[in-house]
Amino acid sequence: MSGKMRILTSVAAIAIVAAGLGVWIIRGPGPLDFAGGTKVALADYRAGKPTGVPAKLEKASLVERGEYLAKAADCMVCHTKPGEKDYSGGLAFKLPFGTLYSTNITPDKDTGIGNYSDQEFLNAVQHGKRRDGARLYPAMPYTSYTFMTDEDVLAVKAYLFSLPPVRAKAPDNTLSFPFNQRWAMIAWSAVFNPDTRFAPDTSKSPDWNRGAYLVEALAHCGECHTPRNLGFALDNRRKFAGAITAGWRAFNISSDKATGLGNWSDQDLISYLSLGHAPGHGSASGPMGEAVDHSFSQFAPEDIRSIVAYLRSVPPQPSPDLPATTAPVAPASHKDGVTADARGKKVFASACASCHGWSGESPVSPMATLTGTWAVNDPAATNVAQIVLSGTKRHTPDGALSMPAFGNAYTDDEIAAVANYVTARFGTKGSKLTAKDIAELRGQTAE
Amino acid sequence: MHMATVLTINGETKSFDAPPEMPLLWVLRDILGMTGTKFGCGIAQCGACTVHVDGKAVRSCVLPVSAVENRAITTIEHVGSTPAGAKVQKAWLDLEVIQCGYCQSGQIMSAAALLAATPNPDDSDIDAAMAGNICRCGTYVRIREAVKQAANGRQS
Repeated sequence: MSGKMRILTSVAAIAIVAAGLGVWIIRGPGPLDFAGGTKVALADYRAGKPTGVPAKLEKASLVERGEYLAKAADCMVCHTKPGEKDYSGGLAFKLPFGTLYSTNITPDKDTGIGNYSDQEFLNAVQHGKRRDGARLYPAMPYTSYTFMTDEDVLAVKAYLFSLPPVRAKAPDNTLSFPFNQRWAMIAWSAVFNPDTRFAPDTSKSPDWNRGAYLVEALAHCGECHTPRNLGFALDNRRKFAGAITAGWRAFNISSDKATGLGNWSDQDLISYLSLGHAPGHGSASGPMGEAVDHSFSQFAPEDIRSIVAYLRSVPPQPSPDLPATTAPVAPASHKDGVTADARGKKVFASACASCHGWSGESPVSPMATLTGTWAVNDPAATNVAQIVLSGTKRHTPDGALSMPAFGNAYTDDEIAAVANYVTARFGTKGSKLTAKDIAELRGQTAE
Repeated sequence: MHMATVLTINGETKSFDAPPEMPLLWVLRDILGMTGTKFGCGIAQCGACTVHVDGKAVRSCVLPVSAVENRAITTIEHVGSTPAGAKVQKAWLDLEVIQCGYCQSGQIMSAAALLAATPNPDDSDIDAAMAGNICRCGTYVRIREAVKQAANGRQS
């Protein structure tokens, strides 16, 4: 080997090692690595049954079991455009580099998944591979679904195939170069898809293992609540520390006492997940509201308890931009408390005060109380602005409450002003939103 | 089995069948025939549907009945028998506040709730309490005068 060749070879070797190291650093730990216990193959786990459906559905038909699992995996929300038939696709995900549309997963043979074999369906859900061989974008959370058992994935397929086929072709994606190069997802997937089934942890309780399966494989909580790394994959070094997704802030759900769930009681968590509201913690809205309506509210009570047991074990991750304690109740009179932003106050008086009150404690319903919620205590006011723009409506039984969407009633300036007023009056630190920020938020919401 | 909804409206117990998410306004107008409370925008933007729940002015068009069971509801039909409501209605007549009248049930309900909580409101109190009640005829000047007259019992 000549000197020149030797140098080139060394450079190449260093580059390969560096690339490998880079991948290793960027990829980081898997979603369950924090637990650190001994993992065993599912078949060798005897302490309980972490996968499948709850006990009361064990004897149910394959389609019924699949329905429970499809709801637990919350397939419908992303695969349905508002106002269109369930599971017929077409929901737009607006990304900085273009728009992605969800696909039709009804059994229609031309426009849906009617021609998918069992293996092809497994390939899509666990490996991110379409029937024609093309790669899926990770908006489809197959890096989470990959933890599902084949049996559970195929139960979901049986349920989807029991639905009426709907003929509906989703619009073509409008991604810009290089993001429109689907083949690049082969490399992405090789690096970021763990491509492995759920393995129970024998050092943890059966309840914890069931919770881990529900949270990581099905409910895919991390897809919104875990920050992303340089490669747009989940950064599990900061597992559940919170992130912005689809223009809404998914708050910290780690066990951090100040800014996570550490100070929520079990009952608070159970109530929030199954009803979309916990006293003193506010109400689920935006994407989490949809997750409650279509997914968590349908979970068996024992499954909700398992989720709570699992969430408790996720190590604390502080959110440094959030206050250590949420602000107390604001003064009852409009004259006391913050006076800044006269325009924001005027909008609040016109449109908000009759439901939310000047103190932040709603005269109407605890679901509309602002005091204590992260939304008003977030100095970025992301979710305050979003809920003003798009409103909210919970479908949970009784006590259901809705807030109208004010996006078409007020200008970007007015919405920024009222968000700044609300965070200053009811939170610890007022936001500084501008009309431009509101315009950007309008552009990010999935529709 | 579907349970009847029971509400306390103007001191009387009313029992009827309605889905829990039905807005109070629909119950008042369509089921109970109490048409004094008006439908305006349906999205809590205009104030025409204002009623009192436990003495506070709220918009009945976005209020599901399930949220107001076991609460004291007062409507325009009855507000004249409360001290603040009686003063407000008298001032409204004395100053001939009303033009077309459509928004005025809501205006009077908001004004009565304001005076019950703040007997001597200044302009900023009136702004804060009345900002959510829109009047297409523009009677705002007379509304402000009437609120002040109702508060101190004489024309200002």
